[in-house]
Amino acid sequence: MRNRAGMMPLIVQEIVQETPTIVSLILVDPEGRRLPAWDPGAHVDLQLITRHERQYSLCGDPADEFSYRIAVLREEHSRGASHYIHRFLKVGREVFVRPPRNLFPLSDAKRHLLLAAGIGITPILSMARRLATTDADWRLVYTVRNRSDIAFADELAALGDQVQVHVSAEAGRLDLAGLLAGLAPGTDVSACGPMGFTDALAARVETLPADCRLHMERFQPKPRAFAPNTDFTVLCARSDRTVDVSARQTMLQALQSARVGIPGSCLRGTCGSCAVQVLDGVPEHRDSLTVDDASRIMYPCVSRSSSPTLVIDA
Amino acid sequence: MASKQFAAIDLQAIRRSLGEPDPAAKAKIMDELDDNCLAFLAHSSFCTIATADTDGNCDSSPRGDYPGFVRALDSRTLVIPERMGNKLADSLQNIVESGHVGLLCFVPGMSETLRINGTATVTDDVELMAMLEQDHVTPDLAIVVHTEEVYLHCGRALLRGGLWDAEMQELAAEVPSAGRIWASMSGLSTEVGDAIDEAVAEGNRTLY
Repeated sequence: MRNRAGMMPLIVQEIVQETPTIVSLILVDPEGRRLPAWDPGAHVDLQLITRHERQYSLCGDPADEFSYRIAVLREEHSRGASHYIHRFLKVGREVFVRPPRNLFPLSDAKRHLLLAAGIGITPILSMARRLATTDADWRLVYTVRNRSDIAFADELAALGDQVQVHVSAEAGRLDLAGLLAGLAPGTDVSACGPMGFTDALAARVETLPADCRLHMERFQPKPRAFAPNTDFTVLCARSDRTVDVSARQTMLQALQSARVGIPGSCLRGTCGSCAVQVLDGVPEHRDSLTVDDASRIMYPCVSRSSSPTLVIDA
Repeated sequence: MASKQFAAIDLQAIRRSLGEPDPAAKAKIMDELDDNCLAFLAHSSFCTIATADTDGNCDSSPRGDYPGFVRALDSRTLVIPERMGNKLADSLQNIVESGHVGLLCFVPGMSETLRINGTATVTDDVELMAMLEQDHVTPDLAIVVHTEEVYLHCGRALLRGGLWDAEMQELAAEVPSAGRIWASMSGLSTEVGDAIDEAVAEGNRTLY
């Protein structure tokens, strides 16, 4: 069972049914105090009274210092959290939240294309709201299956003509290839959505015009195959401990068993909470966050070692 | 009192001793879960599963997990993940033989318990296993329960036993540790027992 170290108790101030399958929650400090600041793209780890812990993008106004807003999709095959939030969470109840972290920050490019599919609108909405206050050239394309699936319709409409909502049941599948081909040079593309959507985009990354970059946030780990697990040894430089990792356990499990204090939240290589600095050795990155295979930051909840020994700053 | 053969009495004698049940008690028994029972289960992190083989030999086994782990798919259908255990699979074998279970579900801190009796099967449905993933570990099997009797059992047993009283937890220190109990069963020393305890504590750091 998970603990609550480092988490703030917040109160559910409001629950809003945004669509038939999406609710948003407004979270505030019990004493009405200011909450830690955040930038668009940031997410929080949220733990329920049931100890289920998940990551949710903040989708409110970053300028609001006193409340956070998240939105939660009712999942047909919920592993627990979505089901609990939709069926049993009540206004006035406590939830536990770690201060926001941002693995999906908005770049300082002059041109932006924001792409959202379904519940992926959550980080994108905050990005659009921020860009609307700058002189950047931006547009947002938000694709949903049915008209009734459009969340935050009023807020999006208030952002003006740069926002286009695409209803695929009416207009057919969104033409991603056309969108990407038509980009002006130097456009940063920020995209968030279900796995099918981010995979389709990733498959087209080569077709991006020169100087354009693609940033994505994934809900699910990248589907990849890895060599069989092997045993390896981790030397923790700071705490001067040696930890053996067997092929049958994750590096994070081994470190936590040895009481090396490293947090873990998603345990699937998508949230970044267990990041450690590699000092020596060759990490085998199996997470969905690492862009450069030579990166010296690794995520031990899923990543392992290609060298027999790994030295980490822990 | 030294143990002796106690005279068994029949149901009539039991009834003479207890009297007849209040009709209201029988009326509390439902055949499916209402919203309040669903809320109970959503916060329940522990239950016992009673099963019997076709000869009537009984078995009762504990299950615990994240609250809500006894998951209602609808008002009559529950699923319970089978996580790693001793692989004896007594409960599963009995379910395959007899097809019946009796669940007693607990919410930490609550005196009343929820009793659910019904028919059961064992499944390895892939989609269902994915839904029952916890801490990145997917169970191999799950028990599916079709409810026949659902009722809330009053809190007197747990209150009499002081089950949730923090002070009562001092009792645990007076019981030989699991390692010593197992070592003794195998004719091993208390030192071996203590080593078993250490190994078990280590193993228990990884629950999934």
